[in-house]
Amino acid sequence: MKDTKTETAASFDVNDYLRQDRMPHFLCPGCGHGIALRALLWAVHEQGIPKDRLAVVSGIGCSGRLSAYIDANTFHTTHGRPLTFATGLKLARPDLHVIVITGDGDCLAIGGNHLIHACRRNLDITCVMLNNEIYGMTGGQVSPMTAEGRFTTTTPEGNTEPNFDACALAAAAGASFVGREVTAQVLALKTLLGQAIAHEGFSFVEVLSDCTEIYGRKNDLGASPEMMLAKKSAMRPYAYRNTVDVPFRPNALRTGVLTRTDRPEYGAAWRAMAARIREEE
Amino acid sequence: MDKRNRTTNVLIVGVGGQGVIMVSKVLAQLCQEAGHDVKQSEVHGMAKRGGGVFSHVRFGPKVWSPTIPEGEVDILVALEWAEGLRWIRHLKPETGTFIADCQKIVPPFACRSRKRGAEPAYAPQTPEEIIDQVHAGYVMDATGLAANLGNARAANTVLLGALSTALDFPEAAWAQVIAATVPPKSVGINARAFTEGRAWALGGTKRIDVTASGLQKSRAEVHHPQVETVVEITADWCKGCDICVKSCPERCLRLNDQLKAELALPELCTGCQLCSWLCPDMAISVTNTPVQEAAS
Repeated sequence: MKDTKTETAASFDVNDYLRQDRMPHFLCPGCGHGIALRALLWAVHEQGIPKDRLAVVSGIGCSGRLSAYIDANTFHTTHGRPLTFATGLKLARPDLHVIVITGDGDCLAIGGNHLIHACRRNLDITCVMLNNEIYGMTGGQVSPMTAEGRFTTTTPEGNTEPNFDACALAAAAGASFVGREVTAQVLALKTLLGQAIAHEGFSFVEVLSDCTEIYGRKNDLGASPEMMLAKKSAMRPYAYRNTVDVPFRPNALRTGVLTRTDRPEYGAAWRAMAARIREEE
Repeated sequence: MDKRNRTTNVLIVGVGGQGVIMVSKVLAQLCQEAGHDVKQSEVHGMAKRGGGVFSHVRFGPKVWSPTIPEGEVDILVALEWAEGLRWIRHLKPETGTFIADCQKIVPPFACRSRKRGAEPAYAPQTPEEIIDQVHAGYVMDATGLAANLGNARAANTVLLGALSTALDFPEAAWAQVIAATVPPKSVGINARAFTEGRAWALGGTKRIDVTASGLQKSRAEVHHPQVETVVEITADWCKGCDICVKSCPERCLRLNDQLKAELALPELCTGCQLCSWLCPDMAISVTNTPVQEAAS
């Protein structure tokens, strides 16, 4: 028997990547963001990125605070603009691995415009969108990812607006790597994040996280273990796309790698142009 | 100036979510019932946690302005250590009283050296230095005292108890207003916290009582024929979300009476690490070490 357990345990200790004096973090009990953070750090570890070469940029919201706990180069930016800051950072310092942690409101509502243009440019940034379907930090307002019929502070009679399919949006805008995963599948999530980090070009990963304290309570979705497992069973791994139960569950969201294309990365083209201009001068 | 005619200024500061408003509400209500003119103004809700929050309470025969001028604060109550230092210049230089919880909530913007074990760029002043600068000062572990009573959230009431010794109102009146302000189910703990804080502050001015607390970790070793498994649970980080308990395939974890995860049945643990992967608070660490075969 190949003992994979001992190998991973010996190599990855999350405490090496955490700012110990900041812990415990501020997230509510059972928040999926904590699981996603750990999986992200694990993926970074597996990719062998030294902490000095890792830059984490985050926006505002529950997800925005996660960068404060990562013991690397971190950048807590303005609302909706982490991708904008990350674009500048990556163009100035192509040697850094830039990872953007953003939330569904931060990425799709306030920063929606920045997201599509970051996808269009295809600069080598990894964008991890933690989708908890709500504005958790500000008290539970409706977000672009809140499903129809769900109750939030600003939709006391149920949400009537349809939500985004963020992965389809990113793929259509030109992101060369798009994936989706739930927090309950930690190993799959870690692998997906690792692939996204390794991918040359803009990679967009939607992590389906849980907001237990506000979203779960308002919608009577149960405690955090129940929410997490319900989300896991509502998904369909991409590898099973042709299996027999597809006709019976047509609306199940796909998880895994959804799009992977070989578009030219923007940073290289930009640097080539800059070098050409310098030569001509 | 005649002491009876002057306005008494109390400034309450914290980082939000700690009960700054509750303290000022109790104080304002008490002053009102005692027949004073009271004005209270506050900044709240700047951020759920991490933003500056303060509340001004002024009372006297006649109060004109709702906010306290700099350097005119008679009593400064700080629910967090660095917030207390931030506002300390507002304290009256000669006669001000400083009451602070020694609890530290490090803001995310306090950048620091990334070396492990390095000191954060958090207010470096020690309680001793600060107490020397003020007329009267109390630095207490209010959060720890409240946690010992059963609920760390009653730390603000512990500080209220300390505040009550610096103002001239009867103890019964304080207790009555607190009981009327707090939610009915927490009247008991708040009454105990108030008594505790008051008793502590009566022990003398310029008191410092800082309890150093390290991380509480529980450690369990599981022996298997080929692997040695060590399960470590950092109780201070665990928030009792129940995910590890519900997801453990062997059902060997449980929440104890403090709502912290613990390894109840270590002999069933297979070292699969699922709990450590799924713990949102990163409180569980499972390490598997292969057993070195003795020469057979």
